[in-house]
Amino acid sequence: MRVNPNSMPDLLAALNQTELEQQQASLQLSTGKSVNAPSDNPTAAALLVENNDEATFTSGSLQSLSAVQGQLSTADSTLSSVTTSLQQAISLGIEGANGTESAADQAAIVVQLQGIQSQLISLANTTYQGNYLFSGTATGTAPYAANAGDPSGVTYSGNSDTNQIAVGNGYQVTVNVPGSQLFSASGNSVFLAVNSLIIALQTNTGIPTAVNALNSASSYLSAQRVLYGNAMSETTSETTYLSTAKLQISQQQNTLGGADMAAAATNLSQSETDTQAALAAMGKMSQDNLFNYL
Amino acid sequence: MSSLFGTLSIALSGLSVSQQEMESTSNNVANANTPGYTREVAETVPGDPIEIGALSVGTGVVLEKIESLRDPMLQIQINQATQQNSSLNSSLTQLQQIQTQFASSSSGIGADISNFFNSLQQLSPDPSSLTLRQAVLTAASNLATDFNSASESLQAQRDSIDQNVVQSVAQVNSLTSQIASVEQQISNIRSIDQNPGTLVDQQNSLIQQLSGLVDVQVIPTDQGITLATSNGTTLVSGTQSYALTTEAGNDGVQHILDGQKDITSSLTGGSLAGLIQIRDQEIPSIGTSLDQLAGGLATSLNAANAEGTDLNGHVGDNIFAAPPANDVGAAGTMTVTMTDPSLLAASSDGSVGSNGNLANLSAVADRALANGQTPIDAYATLVGQIGGDTSNTSADADSSGMILQQLNDQNGSVSGVSLNEEAANLIQYQTAYQAAARVVSTVNALLTDTINLGLGAAVS
Repeated sequence: MRVNPNSMPDLLAALNQTELEQQQASLQLSTGKSVNAPSDNPTAAALLVENNDEATFTSGSLQSLSAVQGQLSTADSTLSSVTTSLQQAISLGIEGANGTESAADQAAIVVQLQGIQSQLISLANTTYQGNYLFSGTATGTAPYAANAGDPSGVTYSGNSDTNQIAVGNGYQVTVNVPGSQLFSASGNSVFLAVNSLIIALQTNTGIPTAVNALNSASSYLSAQRVLYGNAMSETTSETTYLSTAKLQISQQQNTLGGADMAAAATNLSQSETDTQAALAAMGKMSQDNLFNYL
Repeated sequence: MSSLFGTLSIALSGLSVSQQEMESTSNNVANANTPGYTREVAETVPGDPIEIGALSVGTGVVLEKIESLRDPMLQIQINQATQQNSSLNSSLTQLQQIQTQFASSSSGIGADISNFFNSLQQLSPDPSSLTLRQAVLTAASNLATDFNSASESLQAQRDSIDQNVVQSVAQVNSLTSQIASVEQQISNIRSIDQNPGTLVDQQNSLIQQLSGLVDVQVIPTDQGITLATSNGTTLVSGTQSYALTTEAGNDGVQHILDGQKDITSSLTGGSLAGLIQIRDQEIPSIGTSLDQLAGGLATSLNAANAEGTDLNGHVGDNIFAAPPANDVGAAGTMTVTMTDPSLLAASSDGSVGSNGNLANLSAVADRALANGQTPIDAYATLVGQIGGDTSNTSADADSSGMILQQLNDQNGSVSGVSLNEEAANLIQYQTAYQAAARVVSTVNALLTDTINLGLGAAVS
């Protein structure tokens, strides 16, 4: 059978092919990626978009969790100081209630209690990064101001709303407890209890009752503080979970789009050998024909 | 009774035929690298014998014809394969250009969508922070800008394809008029019963070039060839060529006209078909997907923002300019109209510190916006689709290229000039020529002997 005497186009096509393979292998080696264009692996390219979204979401969740943790721990340590102050107030109340104090001593206790009262107002007005922690969602407004006209001695200017932060998929953490629930809850208001104790000492009537009321308001506050503790432990465990997830997402990204470096290096050297062979074949061909021997 | 002169005349026919054979060999060698050249062979037949008494005596050799060796069926197959291959290759070049915009998973529209929703999440622990609010607007603006630039580059590519279409049509017209003028020469030569050999080569080569541009079929008729596209548009009929025209249509692209008939969408092969497929199908389809996504995001985010209140306690205003009707052109016109970060409606209760409405804004990420998919899923699907189209077209182009290569090989095995073969033929013709020349000199010697018969002094 007669063959095509001009094999140059075939060799050129082969050379093109090996050069293309060489390019692909060296691109994989230089970028470390096997998917450098969507056509390299359309399914993986689509999954990589999703993967990047998950990675962004996970890193973002970790970042916002860390911001929330700062806020939660500031609130929690503030409440710890509040508890300490209330313990002091209770001790002072018990001291005033035993009936052996002189009028001057009673007055001194009242002064100390008034100091604690204003300290409580200041603690309840604690801010974190410029936002009031205990004014509900009215974080731009100081929640408490002294008001001698009110039975509790203060006015609450915050609201009773809370904020939730979504972290992880469909998981929400409540990140604040409003002052109206913590310090001036109906029936368990620490401000009312402290102010009532001051009035009781000033009038020297019903001091033990006032001390008991303060005691129960203080216990109530401690119970509310647990909400912060829970939120902190939730965010900690969520952080651990998300960190693991982040690692998995990054592993998945590598599985989807990472180049197999060993394979790419082998392909590169293979395609280089192929190119040399094709070039050698082209160099040798057509130089010799029957005319040379005539 | 035969004569020496008869022998001389036979030897002369051998000389002359060998010379002509060497001529065609020489022509083959000279055109060994001429594209489209078909090797020629001289076909010889014995001369008609003459009857002398009971004997039948040969009269030498006659050159019957010089024939170009070609396989018309193969030529048709090559033309068809060329049409398919050119169409796929021109689509592929465009698709590869398109997909570069969708190549990165860590930048571009997909990453912008992820980053925008992430900026909302960062705002959520501290909803009154102007810095974090500004970050949301910046992310929104990045998203809009990338939608704009994707839409612009698609449009720019569409415009450049459009120019290419006009140029290709001009090339088609130039080729058809050349084919018709070659046909004129061929018919002149055929009318005097000659072999139009190389002219047919030239015409075939032009038809193959034309096949690279449009789906053309060759219909041989008594009046010569007729070239028509598969939709029946006649391009060449005998020695007459018919030019196609282009005209800007209402849809903003050039249409190809055969007289008054719009044949734009009925071309099925050649680079023109590939270009038109990308220009009129692929790019508009990607554009629509982007529009739906951009429009869906803008509308939903605006609506979600209106559900809450801003830092001043007012109901949230639009973040993005309202997209055009039915989202047509939404990607190209997407703009962030909100410039004051305090106007972002994060609050659900009117207080500055509330983040309640951020949940509504974030929920847009999980809502079916385009093609029944969430924004990121819709974008991922688009990337997968573009990648799939490119990779399929690439595979098809590869295989059609291989088919074309095989057909060309086959054609070469029939029509290609082999220098070895020509050298062998040359030896053969040369030897035949030398032998015929020897016969002439032998007859000459014999004639001399005959003239000198009986004479003392020899005539030499």
